[in-house]
Amino acid sequence: MINLTVKIGGEAGFGIMTTGLFLGKIATRSGYHAFEYTEYPSLIRGSHNVVGVRISDEKTYSQEEKVDVLLCLNADTYKRHISEMKQGGMVVYDRDKTDINSIKDENRADLVYVHVPFAKILQEGAFPTVMLNNIAMGALMYLIGADFGILKNLISENFIKKGEEVINKNVNASQMGYDKARESDTEGYKVKIPKKESISSRMYLSGNEAVGLGTLAAGCKFYVAYPMTPASALLHYLAAKAEKSGMVVKHAEDEISVINMALGASWAGVRSMVGTSGGGFALMVESVSLAGITETPIVIAMVQRPGPATGMPTWTEQGDLLFIVHAGHGEFPKIVLSPGDVGEAYQLTTEAFNLADKYQTPVFILSDKYLQEGKQSIDRKEIEEYKFDINRGKLLTAEKLEVLPKGGYKRYLLTEDGISPRAIPGLPNSLQQANSYEHIEDGHTTEDAQERIKQVDKRNRKIRTYLSADFKMPQLFGPKDAELTIVSWGSMKGPVLQAMQDCGNKFNYLHFTHLWPLDKEKVSQVLKSLRKTLLVENNSTAQLGQLLQMVTGVELDNKLLKYSGRPVFPEEILARIKELGIG
Amino acid sequence: MMETTNPNVFAGYFPTWCPGCGDFGIWASIKGALAKLGYSPEEMAVVFGIGCSGNMNDFLWVDSFHALHGRAVPNAVGIKIANHKLPVLAIAGDGDCYGEGGNHLIHACRGNHDITILVHDNRVYGLTTGQVAPTGLKGFKAKSTPQGVIEVPVNPVALAITQGATYVAQGFAGDINHLTDLIVEGVKHKGLSLVNVFQPCVTFNHVTTYAWYRERLYKLTVQNHDPKDMKKALDKSLELDAHIPIGLIYKSERPTYTDCLPQISKETLVDAGLGFTKDDSSAMLQKFVPEFL
Repeated sequence: MINLTVKIGGEAGFGIMTTGLFLGKIATRSGYHAFEYTEYPSLIRGSHNVVGVRISDEKTYSQEEKVDVLLCLNADTYKRHISEMKQGGMVVYDRDKTDINSIKDENRADLVYVHVPFAKILQEGAFPTVMLNNIAMGALMYLIGADFGILKNLISENFIKKGEEVINKNVNASQMGYDKARESDTEGYKVKIPKKESISSRMYLSGNEAVGLGTLAAGCKFYVAYPMTPASALLHYLAAKAEKSGMVVKHAEDEISVINMALGASWAGVRSMVGTSGGGFALMVESVSLAGITETPIVIAMVQRPGPATGMPTWTEQGDLLFIVHAGHGEFPKIVLSPGDVGEAYQLTTEAFNLADKYQTPVFILSDKYLQEGKQSIDRKEIEEYKFDINRGKLLTAEKLEVLPKGGYKRYLLTEDGISPRAIPGLPNSLQQANSYEHIEDGHTTEDAQERIKQVDKRNRKIRTYLSADFKMPQLFGPKDAELTIVSWGSMKGPVLQAMQDCGNKFNYLHFTHLWPLDKEKVSQVLKSLRKTLLVENNSTAQLGQLLQMVTGVELDNKLLKYSGRPVFPEEILARIKELGIG
Repeated sequence: MMETTNPNVFAGYFPTWCPGCGDFGIWASIKGALAKLGYSPEEMAVVFGIGCSGNMNDFLWVDSFHALHGRAVPNAVGIKIANHKLPVLAIAGDGDCYGEGGNHLIHACRGNHDITILVHDNRVYGLTTGQVAPTGLKGFKAKSTPQGVIEVPVNPVALAITQGATYVAQGFAGDINHLTDLIVEGVKHKGLSLVNVFQPCVTFNHVTTYAWYRERLYKLTVQNHDPKDMKKALDKSLELDAHIPIGLIYKSERPTYTDCLPQISKETLVDAGLGFTKDDSSAMLQKFVPEFL
């Protein structure tokens, strides 16, 4: 079985991130699975960037701790990552620039060192530093026996707008990298990824791109955001597609404006979405409550990073679950969905728009840096063949409004399911007021006790309707009768399933995607039926565990919590289950 | 658009404002303006802020969104982007639009969004019992500033002109006909219109009363002012004390925000969204999946 992890590190500004994308795509186009995980600081130039790509002919659910090939574009990469090398791993470096001898780990005689004169190649070809990435990719193609033609195609696709000259220059740079690596080490690395004979068609994309694609496919026409890592890539993706897709993408002055513009547009009848991370969302919170009482649909992509405050902007954490579940003053229904991989990110995004329209209330896509900025190869069927309707809920068409008695429309009509018909302003017979104050059925303000109770009950009935019609129970992966069940949510699905695959299904996994509201009876029943449990979360306070206990009273036995800003690694899960006597 | 409508079609509940409140004059002017413009209550959208001004939500019966304090402007901008054929009016107070939501005003001006912002400027927070507003005169004593406010007042007219608004007018709640025309022209104007309305608060502001204004206000006319000249307009915006101008202070032409969006040149976003089907969804995937292969 092929399992290869390549790590490429260097200063920010060397184009490190592009090497990750290229390597992942080369692997995918060669018929392998790939998973990419990046680490970079909150700086633009000079500091350390690293990207790791795991390539396998089995499904890759996550990164792994150990590295096969470490490609060092600076000495720092070697120092930081040498301890991660697998037995017999390969270190690729430029001995003219990086004096490894003085820092060489004497205990690692097993490692193979390959010299590629990156600096010399830059000089000889008069290439700018930013092309270092393509030189490195060329060298790597040789060392891991990958198809150089795919790299050439990727370079052409990447620079198509810049013209033939730029493409040729980049291809030449990578060809020189390829040739110099061959001169230096004729055998290459022991694990190779030649292009396979038969290749199933896969896509290679990030969580942010998957959410963006879901947004386009769901007919969302208005996306508003203020830049904030790690949600900015979603803004960039949609902004780049705006004209071609007919969307309007607005970078507003602050997050308060962001959500209020989106709510204005949504009230006017357009599917609208905002995207941010914890700090930006904190600014939006008052308006989440506004969406709740005015019953205005909105989809909020909340991409977590470690807080509090500015925290660690470019790292990962699942620290905002309870914040999101409780966000907004007052009581109103809200729906929280959390994808575990890029396929779910796409699917839950399309679902989020339907739920927002149906329940006329805020719907969250709660994710994190690890999933949203990481890239995965997936079967394109997960996106292209995923079936969903465009369900606008009780949105009244002009024809339906016409048949109502003149002045008979009531925006907050009391109904059995809690959902009132919604008319778009500007249409004949749409006369209404969406009101941030408590109101009576026609939208006028009220402070009357009975009217208040009626409207609170009406809004709360939407929760009941959702639980019976649209709530989805956590999904169980792996053997049904396993002795141990891991319970988790969101992006932790990857490391958990990877660990399951790596240990040969010694446990099963209960994966929560529909996090709020929860069906108390059904979830209690499932939790009580489990034998031994291990809660895995990328936070310090076991927030899903707290939420499940709050709703069901069930406390899970064991915990694996990680809050260093790094994701959980499958190896850490395997070590923990060993402690629990499994495997 | 119809001929002039009857202003009474816009009347909701009878107002709960204090007898003599300047809001009555503004209310009458808005109804009069909408009637003159020939709109029906469903041919436009009004966003209300929070405060005595925002309470007009129940007294003016139109398709409306009653916002959070400070946020009427971004709601109005969102509505306009969603449906750029719909006239959009934001009705807010001085604390609302120049304090809590001050940032939004600046950026809405920059974007020249085709909305009309009407601000009730009574220099106090009436609904919360009289604290000083951002337009309060220096030294104004109120519950939150018993020693007198230290800050100088904001200058909304100068602010709007310098930040890119293309129609900036000042009116007086005590001159309904004059104010009505300023609102009519503001709504007709293609671009961001700010109408700052001086409004006496009979309960909490005993400094800038009807009499105070009547001693100072004078009307701008073609004879005494050229609103197309930005420098002259700025000069007028600085007349804040002995003589204070009302009327059209500044007007210019610039493409609106939605004029600059080619993707909505054929149909509004709301129409594009309403017509969106599963086939369109498949077409989106066909267009945007290949880059990930």
